Amino acid sequence: MNAPTDPGDRPSLRTFVPVLAVAATLSALVVYAAVAAAPAPVRAPLAWGGGAAAVVLSAAVATAAHALRTGRAARHRLAGVTQDIGRLLQQQARATEEARQERLRLTDELTRQRGEFAATWAAERARLEQQDAVEAERLHRENSYLASELEQARRERDAAISATSNAAARMQALATAMLADLRAMEERHTDEDVLADLLHLDHRTAQAGRLADSIAVLTGARSGRRWARPIGMESVLRGAMGRIAGYRRVRLHSVSETAVAGHAAEGVMHALAELLDNAANFSPPTAEVHVYVEEVPAGVIVSVEDSGLVMGEVQLRRAERAVSGDVSGLGGLTGTRLGLAVVGRLARKHGLKVSFRPSARGGTGVLVLVPQDILTTPAPAERAAATARPVAASPAGDPVTVEAAPAQESDTPATEIGPAGLPRRRRGHTLAEAGRTRRPHDDDQRRAPDADAGRARAARFSSFRKAVRPTASGSRQAGPEPAPPTPGTAPGDHGASTSHSTAPDGQSAEAPRSAMGYDQTASPRESVSHTAEHTSPATSSQPHAHPEGDTTP
Amino acid sequence: MNRPGRDDAPDRLYTITQGRSRTDPDNPFDLVTLVVAESAPAAGMQSEHVAILGMARYPTSVVEIAAELRLPVSITKVLLCDLLASGRVSARHPHRPAITDPDILEQVLVGLRNL
Repeated sequence: MNAPTDPGDRPSLRTFVPVLAVAATLSALVVYAAVAAAPAPVRAPLAWGGGAAAVVLSAAVATAAHALRTGRAARHRLAGVTQDIGRLLQQQARATEEARQERLRLTDELTRQRGEFAATWAAERARLEQQDAVEAERLHRENSYLASELEQARRERDAAISATSNAAARMQALATAMLADLRAMEERHTDEDVLADLLHLDHRTAQAGRLADSIAVLTGARSGRRWARPIGMESVLRGAMGRIAGYRRVRLHSVSETAVAGHAAEGVMHALAELLDNAANFSPPTAEVHVYVEEVPAGVIVSVEDSGLVMGEVQLRRAERAVSGDVSGLGGLTGTRLGLAVVGRLARKHGLKVSFRPSARGGTGVLVLVPQDILTTPAPAERAAATARPVAASPAGDPVTVEAAPAQESDTPATEIGPAGLPRRRRGHTLAEAGRTRRPHDDDQRRAPDADAGRARAARFSSFRKAVRPTASGSRQAGPEPAPPTPGTAPGDHGASTSHSTAPDGQSAEAPRSAMGYDQTASPRESVSHTAEHTSPATSSQPHAHPEGDTTP
Repeated sequence: MNRPGRDDAPDRLYTITQGRSRTDPDNPFDLVTLVVAESAPAAGMQSEHVAILGMARYPTSVVEIAAELRLPVSITKVLLCDLLASGRVSARHPHRPAITDPDILEQVLVGLRNL
């Protein structure tokens, strides 16, 4: 060990002093003996010389002794250091050896563990792969099972919907037929009690028909009936009113002269009926529901205002979503809440825009925008039919008209002569045009009223009756008549047209004519009611029929 | 031949009269009562009322109005009662026929049978 030297190893005064003392003593003795032996004269110089030599000797001895001692200490330390180095080298070698062994051991360990782990993992992976395969197989089976279940459910759903829509269509047909029958009975029975009962039944049947319509709409079937001609807004609103329970509480404020095209009228009516029903159901049983019609450039806005429950924000949003027509699934339907879904379907089909808002009356207001493209202006024939008033027409078979109409094509574009010799409205033209263009001839004819014309008309009408009656009573389901009398040209109507269209002529001319008109027309009109009584309900509404447009089965 | 339910008007009779089908027993209308309009149709009126007022500019009998409107007489009477109540029409009964003697009527009957 290369430690600092021990205090004993270092030449110190203690090792120095004895050597110095021994040398000094010996030299002193030698010097004293020499001095004593020397003659007296040389004694002093000898003493001085001897003394000095003795001092130098002592010093040299002491120095030599010290050097000896120092060299011995150094050798000793060198040996120690060498020994230390050897020991350290041995230690290092040992440590290296140990480290090498440790490394080998650890490497072995690692290799062994890695092998173990690899084996474990391989086993685990195999197990998991097997499990996966089993699971995949199971999921595959499950998937195919679910797929088949889904397919079956879809088939069943389609079958159910188809059956439902079929049944709904049959119910619609039944309701429509019942309504027509009831209407015929209402015409037939004059007793007020019977009429009241019939009206009651009529109302119930109309509601049942609406329910059937709703189911048909929801199941994607076509709407129950199609009107062959435009339906005036008043009739549309009344038709909607007539299908709800609380129709007595509905107040119409309609001054609109527009009409809804025949193909869309039923849908609009149905949608309005559902909205009216909602309004009536969700307001107090004594509160009125007000319906306003407003014409705007985009179409006609029908607003239904009730004073019942105010819909909350969430309800309003839900209702808006329901009527937007975006929801096409049948999920979420309940038996009592079909209305808005039906409205949504119809709105989508006919392009209606329905929005809800709080009403100024305290309840909820519904705005329905009927777009312009399903609106038409009502033909006079339609308006007359809406008011259930036969259309004024020229005398049937008026020779002047018959001759003039085809000849003056540009003047009378709308008039055509039917097979029965009656003027017939041509497709795309209104009867008003026909009436206007015919007016001068009519006036010429009418300025000379004579009894012959009346008799001729009566005779013509009786032949008309003969023609109509067997067909009508024979079978109601018969196809379109080959030559049906054009709307409003039944001779029985003529009396009204005479008094009506010539009313502004003046009182003087009117008095005899009205009396005469009454005489002339009394029998035909009686015949009309007679015919209506004894023939099918279809016949009772015969003069409403259009020869065209009724092409759908 | 038209089919039922396709060519008739969509409005039902009870909607025309707001569900009423009876008139008061003391209503002045019978089949031959003459109805005369007292005012012109106003905007916003029911179309049947407008039609009646148009027809009744000159005295018109109830049965005639009913036939023109193609409505049952009872329904027509309800409409007429509404108009009468609002003062838009007045009702006139036709003059009684001069011959009211039952004997004469009987003789006429016998004469008719002998024809």
